[in-house]
Amino acid sequence: MNCELAHERIVLAAYGELPDEQIHELDRHLAACTDCSQEREQLQALKTLATAYPMADPDPNFVARSRMRLDEALDAIPPKRWYERLGQRVVNNFSNMQAAPAAAVLLLVVGAGAGTLGGYEYAEARIAHAAGQGSAEQAKLDASPAQTAPAEIANISSIEREPNSEIVHVTFNQLVPQHIQGSLDDPSIRQLLLLASENATSPGVRDDSVGLLAAECRAGHGCKGEGVRDALMIALRYDKSVTVREKALEGLQPYVAEDMRVRDAVLEALLNDSDARIRTAAISILEPVEADTSVRQVLSTVASSDHNPHIRTVSRQVLSRAPEIR
Amino acid sequence: MDGPDRAQERLQARAPEMELIREAQAGSRAAFDALVRQYEQQVLRLALHLTGSEHDAEDIYQEAFLKAFRYIGNFRFECSFYTWIYRIVTNLCLDQLRRKKTRREDQAVVIDQSGDEIDVLSSISDQRSFSNPGKELDRKVLGERIQAALSKLTPRERMVFELKHYQGLRLRTIGEMLNTTEETAKNTLFRATKKLRTQLAGLR
Repeated sequence: MNCELAHERIVLAAYGELPDEQIHELDRHLAACTDCSQEREQLQALKTLATAYPMADPDPNFVARSRMRLDEALDAIPPKRWYERLGQRVVNNFSNMQAAPAAAVLLLVVGAGAGTLGGYEYAEARIAHAAGQGSAEQAKLDASPAQTAPAEIANISSIEREPNSEIVHVTFNQLVPQHIQGSLDDPSIRQLLLLASENATSPGVRDDSVGLLAAECRAGHGCKGEGVRDALMIALRYDKSVTVREKALEGLQPYVAEDMRVRDAVLEALLNDSDARIRTAAISILEPVEADTSVRQVLSTVASSDHNPHIRTVSRQVLSRAPEIR
Repeated sequence: MDGPDRAQERLQARAPEMELIREAQAGSRAAFDALVRQYEQQVLRLALHLTGSEHDAEDIYQEAFLKAFRYIGNFRFECSFYTWIYRIVTNLCLDQLRRKKTRREDQAVVIDQSGDEIDVLSSISDQRSFSNPGKELDRKVLGERIQAALSKLTPRERMVFELKHYQGLRLRTIGEMLNTTEETAKNTLFRATKKLRTQLAGLR
């Protein structure tokens, strides 16, 4: 290791961001190099000095004054109209379901079709149509089958899987309740499950959908795309039902090692989830990831500060049992 | 980084948070107010420490929450709400630091409690007094020197140092907040500590 690299690593080590195997390497270098060892002392001195300008809690009067001023400014903003909110909601739902790739594919197909036919009038008609309807939004609408267009779905009332088969029955309400059945791999079924995982008012339905999506992920069926993983992470972070969060966590297990965002979500659950079962499950699925010290940091924090003694003990056990994490 | 009490608070606050966000997205002012109360202390602490001025911190607070109110419909639960709101705040702080930087150029200036600007370096006449910090340099003056040294960093360096050193955030999260990569955040932190050490060399 040269001194320039060592200087960089000294900073990372001082702030707890250096992977363990590099810490040992750095220690060996520092033992042999006086310049670098002075460098480390200087950095420690800087860290001590910087505490002379501490973060102070804002004065309560100052907070109250700021809030009052904000209140006045917020009062002056006219409330959003219902159609603005609706529009926003539709846009969000589309984005959540990752409709963009489908829209892109659709545009490609439309483009290829137009090219093959080659008729000037046809192309002109398509352009006029797209301009008239707002092309991007329209393309997204076209991307989903009419009967499952999310903007028309009021809510999802039940999800049932046929025993020992890939068939799922999803009941949902549009203007009138509807029911479709199809394979778990069917994109429209997937879309409904994703919607149900986030928006269904009944915890049972969210539970069913998250459970099915999680099982698909664990079985390695079509969970490569980020849509399902995102839905599971959202459920883990925000769902009110413990069973739903538990299932989401199970579904995310295979991706803890490879996907940093999944790892973050699981670490967050370990630190913050209100239910001890979820925190315990989070500990059990955290696999040692050598390059990521955050796992070890979070486990140490939990081992020292979780209010549940069992979880503190388990974290300590994991830390001591797995030398590669330590 | 977080004490058990703070973790406990966050834990209790988190459960209804999604509901609050959804209600705020549906136009509920009361729900938005609850979110403001949840985050306002942290926002003010950060802005106050970064700008060193109550006046600027209040402006940042005001603008950040107005922006959050206007754009809360765009929040899609892809990151935590904490990261989202911090992203807005850090952007506003960066703008503020940039404006300040051009206004003051290279002067080492801080704002005192009455809101007046004072030049720290010129107010300390005898540089030799720093040679024995234990006896001659009281903590307040030292704090002002640190603040002056921090104000000489580029806005981005200042922000990364602030979020890492004072807020204890992970470089990965900092990168996410500042719309850049972990690697860039790492290099920026490295530059910041190097500059600070040069600036504060006489103080040890």
